[in-house]
Amino acid sequence: MSTWTYIPQLLSSGITIGAIYALVALGFVTIARASQIINFAQGEFVMLGGVITFFFLKVMNLPYPLAAFIAILIVILIGFVMHLSVVYPLRKASIVILLMATLGASIFLSSTSGLLFGTLPKTLPPFSGERPLQLLGVSVLPQSVWVLISTLILLIFLYLLSHRTLLGKAMEASSTDPLGADLLGISRNLMVFLAFGVSAGVGAFAGILITPVFFTSYSSGTLLGLKGFIAAVLGGWGKNSGAILGGFVLGIVESLSLAFIPAGYKDAIAFGILLLILHFRPKGILGSPFMDSRRW
Amino acid sequence: MKKIVPLISVLTLILMTWVSPAYVAEKSLYKIGVNLEFTGPWAEVTKTVRNAMVLEVERINKMGGIDGHSIELLFEDNGFDLGRTAANMTKFTKDKQIIAVVGPFEDNLQATSRAIAEREKITNIIICPSNPMVRALKQKWAFNIAQSDIIVSQKLVDLSLARKYKKVLVFPAAIPLAKSLAEFYKRFGEEKGMKIIISQETHKPTDIDMTPQLIKLKPIIEKEKIDAFYACTAGPPGPIICKNLRTLGVKTPILGTHAFGFGFIIALGGEAMEGVEFGAGKPVVPDQLDENDPVRTINLDFDKRMRERDGVGLDQIAGHAHDTISLIYDALKRCQGKVTRAIFRDALENTKGHKNCHGIYNYSPTDHDGLSKKDMVFIRIEGGKFKRIKFPGFE
Repeated sequence: MSTWTYIPQLLSSGITIGAIYALVALGFVTIARASQIINFAQGEFVMLGGVITFFFLKVMNLPYPLAAFIAILIVILIGFVMHLSVVYPLRKASIVILLMATLGASIFLSSTSGLLFGTLPKTLPPFSGERPLQLLGVSVLPQSVWVLISTLILLIFLYLLSHRTLLGKAMEASSTDPLGADLLGISRNLMVFLAFGVSAGVGAFAGILITPVFFTSYSSGTLLGLKGFIAAVLGGWGKNSGAILGGFVLGIVESLSLAFIPAGYKDAIAFGILLLILHFRPKGILGSPFMDSRRW
Repeated sequence: MKKIVPLISVLTLILMTWVSPAYVAEKSLYKIGVNLEFTGPWAEVTKTVRNAMVLEVERINKMGGIDGHSIELLFEDNGFDLGRTAANMTKFTKDKQIIAVVGPFEDNLQATSRAIAEREKITNIIICPSNPMVRALKQKWAFNIAQSDIIVSQKLVDLSLARKYKKVLVFPAAIPLAKSLAEFYKRFGEEKGMKIIISQETHKPTDIDMTPQLIKLKPIIEKEKIDAFYACTAGPPGPIICKNLRTLGVKTPILGTHAFGFGFIIALGGEAMEGVEFGAGKPVVPDQLDENDPVRTINLDFDKRMRERDGVGLDQIAGHAHDTISLIYDALKRCQGKVTRAIFRDALENTKGHKNCHGIYNYSPTDHDGLSKKDMVFIRIEGGKFKRIKFPGFE
């Protein structure tokens, strides 16, 4: 059977995982736009979304939507606490120091999750049944459709937040021109604080969406975080549209590559693409507002 | 009369002291070091091991220990770290009162602890010796508790023959245990006239989606008219494979490894796990063992005690932990009071016909694996539960 016959099914698988990468990448970008910080605990927000929902659903026996809602609120709260306890005290330190601090926070969050909720992987029930749908000869899980639709809704919400609200514009202003923002009376610390909340909420939402398909364990945030970061850089560091494009490109390329190479090299593909992009187009596909084009 | 009363009192006091537990405690303790991953990915599994070991040791000590000597377990967390594993092992070997060391759990940590055990001449009991290459070293001081990859593969070939599967496609994980299981399954299966295809596509224990690999295998399943698909793996990839395979519309029966015999695997896979069959240890189905099974009462009793104390029933891991302590107890008894590291090792090596949760253990100088194919049962997942299945001539 020809390799090309696999393509539609691989494409569908790639789009689902691409949507998740896009959401994680968006989390990275939201914080980066407000403060230029790379938050390496972004993957942990995704993991916590899944794990905390599991706890409220299976252990506390709350209804599914309520469990998910509480989990998102808790993760947003964790995002705020992380800003206050890790990022704010280091606000005058260099970006590298902040990056290391978020890496530390990531290890802390994953270990604490293992301690509190156990180390075995967890799954959530799919939103609407497990019977695969047949679309144009391709089998698709209903949950994958949920992932795509929800990602789309969230993207629209984030677009409206950053382009149509004063808060979103203030967040962007504090990143693109910190001095100008200061002069206009925008509290940059407050903006970063809020960005951490939004980013944690997006992460938790992504976690709840994917746990029915991919399972979640205390350590699963690290790889997702890394892939999300690659997606954000791939699309153009600091751009929402770049993060979305990067996520889908990475998911689809990773999946399609398997038609031609053995599965063992799947992760290497992601990092290989990143290296190539950084070499030939360091600003990412759509270009990065944080990089001065004259340098390249 | 006045003189007799105090005399009787003193004699009674002496007698009471002699038979009381306090007197038992005065005898030296038999110390066993436990070097396990109490933190890290195996934390939940090792918690079960710890609880089950403590439960069994408490029972033994309550019964008076071994001729009045109680067993004491000394736990050290190796944190899933090679350096700490080696440090713990060295610490245990330096304490001359420690007779043997149990653990570690993880593949790559075992090689180190076994090497230290050989050098320092101390028994090292490995609960899950999952790396066949290390197991094949046949070290003098290392003893294995869980079933070997050879007997697991033999049992699965029996299951395949009983189901009249002629062609089986194996999808192995890229880990030493899975590769070895796949190769032994192929070897034993082909000896019995089956056709076994080991897929060139593999998966990693960390893979969260196997759809891409399975898409490439689907045409092989259809073209070769495969009778069964063997998900040769352990941990979460098992349910992921089953889910992804069913999503792709593949209805071929799925065979699993003994690592499928845990409750969390069914919880993760849900409906997709229905109908999956595999060979596993007897503690998976304690209440479904034959009435005349020599280890049925041991399983039922331990299952009951675990439920009473921890609220969770027996599983394969808890069974291994029970068997470890039971084997240590049995070997210590046969030391006849002269307990040294060397005498204990020899006694453990001479274990013959010792009944345990997982089956009947027989160690010898050439066999430190203990169990045989007969100590496993066939399991089918049905209605979200493990159901024992039997086939005449295969058991």
